[in-house]
Amino acid sequence: MAPTDSGIASNLLNIGAERLALLGKHHKALMQGYLDGFIDETAFSEGALKKLIAARILWRPDEQHPLALRPLVSELIASMVADENRRQINADVAEKLEQIRNRVQAYRDAQFKGDYSVAELQLQRLTEHVHDLSGQFEEAIDSLWHRLNSDFGFVASLDDKIRENERAQKQLRRLLDGLDLLDFNELIELSEGNNHLRKLLVSQLQNQLSSHHSSLLEVQKRLVELLAKFRQQQARSMLIANMAAFLRQHPTYQPADYPNRSELPKLFNQAASIVPQAAIALDNASDRQSLAELVRALPRYQPVKLLDTESASFSSVMVDDEIAARQQALKTDVENFYLRVIDQGGKLSALEYLEQQALEWDSEIWLYQIIAEYQALPQDEKQMFAIVRDEAPASSMNQLLLIRDISLHLKAQGQAA
Amino acid sequence: MLQHGPLLERLLAGDFICQVTDEDAFRHLSNEQTQQDINHYLRPLNRRLVSNDDNTVFFLGYFELNKAAREQLSSQFSLTVQSLLPLLEWLQLVQETLGRDSALTAGDTIKLQEFVLRTEDNQSLRHRLNQLASDRFFNSQSEQLDNQVKLIFRRLKEHGYLLQPHHDRQYYVVTGKIDYLIDVIRFIRDEEHLPVDDTPSQEALL
Repeated sequence: MAPTDSGIASNLLNIGAERLALLGKHHKALMQGYLDGFIDETAFSEGALKKLIAARILWRPDEQHPLALRPLVSELIASMVADENRRQINADVAEKLEQIRNRVQAYRDAQFKGDYSVAELQLQRLTEHVHDLSGQFEEAIDSLWHRLNSDFGFVASLDDKIRENERAQKQLRRLLDGLDLLDFNELIELSEGNNHLRKLLVSQLQNQLSSHHSSLLEVQKRLVELLAKFRQQQARSMLIANMAAFLRQHPTYQPADYPNRSELPKLFNQAASIVPQAAIALDNASDRQSLAELVRALPRYQPVKLLDTESASFSSVMVDDEIAARQQALKTDVENFYLRVIDQGGKLSALEYLEQQALEWDSEIWLYQIIAEYQALPQDEKQMFAIVRDEAPASSMNQLLLIRDISLHLKAQGQAA
Repeated sequence: MLQHGPLLERLLAGDFICQVTDEDAFRHLSNEQTQQDINHYLRPLNRRLVSNDDNTVFFLGYFELNKAAREQLSSQFSLTVQSLLPLLEWLQLVQETLGRDSALTAGDTIKLQEFVLRTEDNQSLRHRLNQLASDRFFNSQSEQLDNQVKLIFRRLKEHGYLLQPHHDRQYYVVTGKIDYLIDVIRFIRDEEHLPVDDTPSQEALL
């Protein structure tokens, strides 16, 4: 029996290694197929496709469909890359239990017959089954934590997150139900009188499963909390959107007068602010030292000497006596003009006055000085005069206004006040 | 009471205290003994601590509702009502602009630049922001997107809905006052039986 066994084993080894190598050989195209959901057949040669199909890596779900990865291969990839969108959770415990029972029986039978090599093989298979069972939970728990910790970030919308969370909770309930199927009394009975079995089925498995059980309960608690949070966020988004829509539709909407209700809703009890003020107090002798320091630290006030800016201020920078004298003469003439305006009471044209008095000033400088003098007047005196500019555009094309003449007159006393 | 001096000052000035605005103060306020102490202290000022239903934000209300208090509450209330729509629209706009799958909640961070960038190239968002900025609540005179956004965020900061952790950095954290706003809306909705849903219909669930 043993030689055939090793023959099968070496055959399996060859085929398996060959087919695993196929996965490696076409890794990129197959991974692309995983992402797209179907295989791009042009990426493979005819022979390669045949091999992949024979290796049960690819299949054609039906005639119309393109080739795709077999579900088990997709599952393998999903588990390897922790792709929570496609990762499967296997919560089927009953089947595994059945297998464990059968293996225990086969192992005992072989021992009874004294066929130790078979017994050894059965024990090894049994060990694998036990590990599978534990690994199945481990994988599921890993997947659940992964989804929890990423806040279900692998789906985009809040609605999807809520659905994913509910799906995870269902999976979790199935896993917990599966754990309940495990009856440790039965396992103890199965392993009775055999040290190997006792170690495998009772101490090891029980330990692992009880830790899985508490992990699952923790995940469940967190999932429920997260779902509550999602629901709260969802409710908030909806409230905001719907209330905004309502207010837009009813622009004149006015809620009831809550602040004047006898039973004031606490939300609307928002008091006026009080800002406490404080000033320096000298009645506390011990504070004087620090107050004095504060005063010393104040920035010193340094009066800035302003230049005399009366009327045309450029005059002050001219130091040349002659020019200063001419400047002064111009100022005096302009002042006389203003005095004339006051005496006369009526409207007086600046250029007419210039001509009348036969003054020698250039008309442009004359007008400029009159405006400057007007600008330099204190505000209340300024209001006593009305200044009217006679201006016109420089040309029909140029909107720049040129001043031709200025006329001044006293405003009525009533207006001036 | 001495240790709560700065906190009392903030409360008296009308600040809303939540976990985001002042974590330590918020922790103190969550303690019942401290609440009693503070209320006792505030009694002569006719003030008392008030919190929202979930106790996520604290502020000061009147202890005794005399005439002056009622008048102040009335004017405060009408301000709140006026601000509802602009605030709700802002919340929606931020949610949509930043592509978030849920409404803003206390502690969320908003980067001003990201908001501007995403609005810039989208005519419809740009248009809505323009309208929002010119609302009386924000009252922007500018046509420039950048200025409008800055003004909106500054106003929200002044009103206590946003916190700017670093004065010179343009990012903001949503405060617990948003929770207060939501509570106000929910209250009005419930009291006045407004047709405003906040639970998805059975259809949407399926």
